[in-house]
Amino acid sequence: MKTVAIEHLARVEGHGGITVELEGNTVGNVHFDVFEGARLLEPLVRGKRYDEVAPILSRICAICSVAHSLTSLKATENAFGIAISRQTEMLRDLLYLGENIESHSLHLFLLALPDYLNCASAIALAAARPDAVLLGLRLKKLGNRIQEVIGGRAIHPVNAVPGGFGRVPATEQLIELRDALSEGIKDSNAVIDLMAALPDTDFCHCNTAFAALDSAGGGSYYGGEEVIAATNGDRAIVRAADYRTLAHEQSVPHSHAKHSTFRGKPFMVGSLARLTINPHRITGRLALAAERLGLHLPADNPMDNNKAQALELIDDLARALAIVERLLREGIEDERPPAVQPRAATGTAITEAPRGLLIHSYTYDAEGRTTSADVITPTALNAASMEMHFRQAVEQCAERDDTALRRRLEMIARAYDPCISCSVHLVRKR
Amino acid sequence: MSKPTVGIFGLTGCAGDQLVILNCEDRLLELVSLIDVRDFLVASSENDSSCPLDVALVEGAVLSQKDAERLKAIRARAKLLVALGTCAVWGGVAAMDRDADRRRCLEEVYGELGLKYDSMPARALHEIVKVDLRITGCPIEKEHFLAAIANLLNGNAPVYPEYPVCTECRMLENNCLLIERGELCCGPITVAGCNARCPNLRIPCAGCRGPVSDANSQSWLAALEEKGIDRLRIAGRLRTFAPEGAVQ
Repeated sequence: MKTVAIEHLARVEGHGGITVELEGNTVGNVHFDVFEGARLLEPLVRGKRYDEVAPILSRICAICSVAHSLTSLKATENAFGIAISRQTEMLRDLLYLGENIESHSLHLFLLALPDYLNCASAIALAAARPDAVLLGLRLKKLGNRIQEVIGGRAIHPVNAVPGGFGRVPATEQLIELRDALSEGIKDSNAVIDLMAALPDTDFCHCNTAFAALDSAGGGSYYGGEEVIAATNGDRAIVRAADYRTLAHEQSVPHSHAKHSTFRGKPFMVGSLARLTINPHRITGRLALAAERLGLHLPADNPMDNNKAQALELIDDLARALAIVERLLREGIEDERPPAVQPRAATGTAITEAPRGLLIHSYTYDAEGRTTSADVITPTALNAASMEMHFRQAVEQCAERDDTALRRRLEMIARAYDPCISCSVHLVRKR
Repeated sequence: MSKPTVGIFGLTGCAGDQLVILNCEDRLLELVSLIDVRDFLVASSENDSSCPLDVALVEGAVLSQKDAERLKAIRARAKLLVALGTCAVWGGVAAMDRDADRRRCLEEVYGELGLKYDSMPARALHEIVKVDLRITGCPIEKEHFLAAIANLLNGNAPVYPEYPVCTECRMLENNCLLIERGELCCGPITVAGCNARCPNLRIPCAGCRGPVSDANSQSWLAALEEKGIDRLRIAGRLRTFAPEGAVQ
């Protein structure tokens, strides 16, 4: 028997690897190995007061820190019955869009693109294709600027608190964002041109199930309560409070991440899942862009997640600009967060982090201290699906030499945009 | 002069400090033209994992035997080892309550399998190896990182603030959250360098940069108690980003 192993996966966040066992042409065990150290933040956060929970749990992951922070706040607000203002909702949507713009730009241009253009890194790519790297850096910076203005910092936002924001942005700051976004939107065509010109990545096809928030109500990453899981045209709805049925998890020996299945099947979350579950998002210029990228839904190729991220990226720029323009039109009010009245209760929130569904669920005592906390991250939800696609890619690869196999496995892993710090969560055993 | 060889590494953490490096969008290409980045797994798939390094930048805390071994190997390669971020400098959030029963926590999270995981209480880098330079912050400030590189290129050691966040906050003429609003603000005991980011947004300082060396903790404690904030809450807040009694 022979083993194809990628000991330490490069150009992804965190520490993980891939192991595939081959017996002749038969594929044996396939493992996505996660050896990120266990920080055990979930038991550590127990006993903390409600206002300390989001700042601690945002530290699960830097690239998704806005998602963790806002999902945490939403879970706490759901527990205490705190309603947020329309303005807060818009600012949170905008903050979330900022993170998505930054995260997708980082992933597409600095982490995934080097594979397509045969470079080891964006540093090497900058010599061959400075246009591509500079485009990525421009958009990444724009996403970061939104997070700085609204969240107070590009990584681990500080300004979002239970019920609202410490200080809302000033009109001049919103004008600055409007101008930057109006400029950034001009890069939309360049994003699609670049992605449409990449070589085909046609090496892994298989029937794939997806799960994403139902965004019928407007398509924000932050709003919505219901998850739709779809497989072969069969759709099931899962309410936030029933999230456990979605994340049927078990610990596995080779990984500090747990594996999730829905009705016994692995499923994929992230950009491709969001567009598959909400195809109504793809109209007008997005439909034209999808056509140019050759993205046909439902997709059966995990590599299409890169195309889906490109579509979301240009859509996010337009949505962010629309929110900023509306805030400027309606005028920003210097709202202060409401006084919080803790109560003994459980609150759950599901949002769409850049990499897919993110769930935080807490139980508080009457003083507002956590008695339990549960976090389920997109990369943990994706782990079983990644292994399924690794297996398919190896089975569908005619060549048996290590280099060809390793290259395909790495590209699929990167297409998932895994965030391995996130995946080593935290969930309590039931 | 040949360019200094640099390695950028992450132990256990959130990758936030490496992300700050990638967030230097305007300076990134210039930066990589001045230094020779040999080993940077998050950004490159071609790395020299054994060459000697002039500078090793290490983020994250040590949470496993594997982390400790990696750190020692990095130390052996590097002339200068820089701890990047609060986890590397102090232990960070994973080091809060590090006396908690780790086996029980592992079992609670991962079931029986958890007991077999390579896992130990979080430690800062200096508890395992010699650290030459510390850049704190959760995450580090972009400017502090760039200043470190610029200074090291010129053979100088960068200088960072040694006064509390409180001093920065007063210079900005903010209303005091602790005195005027009775909030649990860690500004008086936390090392400056963030330009009082949180109090400037009317949010009390959470202490994410770690303790300042000459903090007047007694008068801070007295002020908080006068505001009716109980000791248990203060103790919990104090331990969030650096373990109890941590010193460099």
